[in-house]
Amino acid sequence: MQNEGLKNIWAKYQKEIADDHYYYLRSCIRQNFFPGAEYYFLKILREVLGKDVYDDPRHTTCTGIGYHSDIVPFETIQTVVAREFALMTAAGYRNVAVSCVTSFGIYSEILETWREFPKELQKARENLWKATKREFEIPENIAHASDIIYKFRHQIAEKAKYKLVNTNTGKPLQIVEHIGCHYAKMFPVKGIGGAEFPQVLSGMIAAWGGDVVDYPERRHCCGFGFRQYLVQQNRGYSLSNSKKKLESMQPYEPDAIICNCPGCTMFLDRWQYTLYEMEGKRYGQNNESIPVLAYEELAALVLGFEPWNVGLQMHEINTESLLDKMGIAYNPDEKYLDKNKQPIGSFNKTGCLSCC
Amino acid sequence: MPTITERLAQDVRFKESINSCINCGVCTAICAAAEFYDYSPRQIAGIVQEGNEEKIIALLKSDTIWFCGQCMSCKTRCPRNNCVGIIIAVLRKISQEEGYFVESRMGRQQLLIKRNIGSTILKYGYCIHPEIVNPEYHPEQGPTWEWVYKNKEKVYERMNANLDKPGSGTLRKIEQDTLQELRDIFEVSGGVELFDKIEKYSFEKAAEMGLASNPDSMDNYVKYISNE
Amino acid sequence: MNKSIVVIGAGVAGIEVASILADMGYNVFIIEKNKNIGGNVAFWHHLFPNNRSAAEVREYMNQKIKVPNITLFPNTEVTDISQKKNVYVVRTNKDATFEVGAVLIATGFTPFDARRKEEYGYGIYDNVITSVDLEKKLERGENITTTQGMAPKRIAFVHCVGSRDAKVGHTYCSKVCCITGVKQAIEMSKMFPDAEMYCFYMDLRMHGLEYERFYKDAQENYNTQFIRGRVSEVSENKDKSIQLKAEDTLSGLPLKMKVDLLVLLVGMEQGKDSDKLCDILHLHKTPENFIQPQDPHLQGNVSSRQGVFIAGTCIQPMTINETMQNARSAALEINHYLLHL
Repeated sequence: MQNEGLKNIWAKYQKEIADDHYYYLRSCIRQNFFPGAEYYFLKILREVLGKDVYDDPRHTTCTGIGYHSDIVPFETIQTVVAREFALMTAAGYRNVAVSCVTSFGIYSEILETWREFPKELQKARENLWKATKREFEIPENIAHASDIIYKFRHQIAEKAKYKLVNTNTGKPLQIVEHIGCHYAKMFPVKGIGGAEFPQVLSGMIAAWGGDVVDYPERRHCCGFGFRQYLVQQNRGYSLSNSKKKLESMQPYEPDAIICNCPGCTMFLDRWQYTLYEMEGKRYGQNNESIPVLAYEELAALVLGFEPWNVGLQMHEINTESLLDKMGIAYNPDEKYLDKNKQPIGSFNKTGCLSCC
Repeated sequence: MPTITERLAQDVRFKESINSCINCGVCTAICAAAEFYDYSPRQIAGIVQEGNEEKIIALLKSDTIWFCGQCMSCKTRCPRNNCVGIIIAVLRKISQEEGYFVESRMGRQQLLIKRNIGSTILKYGYCIHPEIVNPEYHPEQGPTWEWVYKNKEKVYERMNANLDKPGSGTLRKIEQDTLQELRDIFEVSGGVELFDKIEKYSFEKAAEMGLASNPDSMDNYVKYISNE
Repeated sequence: MNKSIVVIGAGVAGIEVASILADMGYNVFIIEKNKNIGGNVAFWHHLFPNNRSAAEVREYMNQKIKVPNITLFPNTEVTDISQKKNVYVVRTNKDATFEVGAVLIATGFTPFDARRKEEYGYGIYDNVITSVDLEKKLERGENITTTQGMAPKRIAFVHCVGSRDAKVGHTYCSKVCCITGVKQAIEMSKMFPDAEMYCFYMDLRMHGLEYERFYKDAQENYNTQFIRGRVSEVSENKDKSIQLKAEDTLSGLPLKMKVDLLVLLVGMEQGKDSDKLCDILHLHKTPENFIQPQDPHLQGNVSSRQGVFIAGTCIQPMTINETMQNARSAALEINHYLLHL
């Protein structure tokens, strides 16, 4: 990899990201599977960076998963998005921070549609008024939540307690980044670094001391495929795409995979487990699995927040190998405890999972 | 009655997504579906470009349009600025509106998605809620998820979430007035109509196959399409 | 009658026009931004269709300008052109001023900047080079190796890089790349007889009389496979070899291939030289950003402005021999114009 070439591309795709006062739009998948990521995103923005973020209980799903699995019409999703904008407008905000890459793609597609076809915008306004008596302004700035972490990556680095460095060897950790197709493949100018060599995560990784692994299938889809996962019979599609990526990254012996998109985070985590169950195969160093983290979780770790507070116990693939390399202190006995430090349920990782 | 070709052209997304195809194959080359299924986005572009009504209807009745995973990787590369992923979305919409989707195995699955994701949207205000990710149907989610699922309240509380409770925060309960707004949006913008059509055509197919005698007893059909 | 002419650009077209007009008795001032003449031929190695050395063409050009009524101004750029009735006043960055009866624009082309096709990784992956890089290496007598110093065992050529591609704003065919790819594949095969060559194309545009023979020769005698599909994505393997993805559209299957060296056949585009002159002179351009002739059939060398003429690849992509012919017709057009003023 020649850095000059990368810098040349990155210089072409630096978009404007609002500096403060965000209206937060949550992610269905991230909330379910990585709730700590959203919690720590807000905590980092508010408490570490001193930003104002509005977390509105009235907003809903953007219905993007329904739209891309074809049960929600375009006209409907436009109106749902219009409602999110109406809530933002009513709350006195102009910048949105989107927690989900699918949603981010939806907002990008709809804004482009409204720009090209003003009649569609008109129809969305009419539908929204008819259904809710609400009106809206189009946001001045739409950022994916990772764009905001990227923007403040150096401030986070200044306050960091840990680096993406192997404390045993002193060498940078080798990190695979996975962006998620809907971040920039549809509209490259809307993503930091564009579609081919996105900088949004690699910028964070570099700022926090790690090395980015560029492996041949880096740009390939994780395999979510919407209906290809939602319908049980179709999941082979989803699995085989993740497998293709894992096989391709294996020779680089990555220390972790960092994801932009909540769905990809979940799939690259769960499919590693499934592949081990099916084939007995693992793709990380020393025949272990590769920890998969959301970028918010990574930012929280770097800043010194406690791993079990961040929610790493909700990952199927153990993250302890990464914590150990980074020199992060944690108590293994507290992993499955509740808020009052009492055991939750009777969870005992046995079998293959004890070593995943 | 407009022809299917005319109806395709009425969708603004279609206009934006097919100019003319140069048949270069960059879409199929990187298509996540093309490697897994017998599927080629390039050939989809060819068929819709040809505009032959019979061929398009045959396509709408086939499994082919249901193979795409909507990753939109094809959009990035096309030298003619086409996007087969979006063409597929428009084809699927018309296939459902016309009832053609029940003529293919993959198409029939739309009922499962409507009943799962569609219901969740209107019930919870989310596309996904922990309640619907039942480990029984999600073995790939593994034992950790099973632990989360069985101990939802405590695990989400530990994560500072606000599961099914009023106020803001992760997985908060979405209030009735908001859910009503969402349902009203679905009502005025064609969302409910599409749901109803998916149910109606699925029932007709189920009746034709002898798997249901009234719309409220579709269990055998659902079982059938879940294992087809 | 003003018997002086300014020719802008000392490439194949500019020099041919200058030499013919000089023969006819005109005074010609050639303004060239570079130190050397020859334009894009200056660094080329061998030429299709007969693999002759480009040095022979350069020598021809050098001889042609060695006449008293041609003056060459190297390292010079035009800064302004104004018009007083039928006289053009051309100023340069060297503070020279020429008062002439006609101006000929022969600014040629710029090879497409392959970095703009980001998915091909040029400037990022070591073993991705352009057809121009390959010619330069051959002309300098460098060994062709991978960046790891190995002899390549498999080389792929990507056609239409920067051509026929709305994504980069170039909808046109650059005309010379197909045959250049075939030529370079044969050259590489001669250098590495055991290596496999692959050309990824959309349409093979073998428009010259001898080109089809070249193509057949490459297939039959030089280990070259032609795959009908545009390369979609290029990435780097751990050993620095290159992975490419395309569809073999004739069999309808996606294909992934590992190669040691990838050559991007870059097309022609108009650069800032012709942009600047078109701005100064308010000339019309084609939608493809080339300089628009007054009439594509009958006045192919006349620009949209009286007294300003055009020749060579600033009009459209051309081979060298087409450029020569085009230049000769431009010279006749200029002569005709000046005689009838």
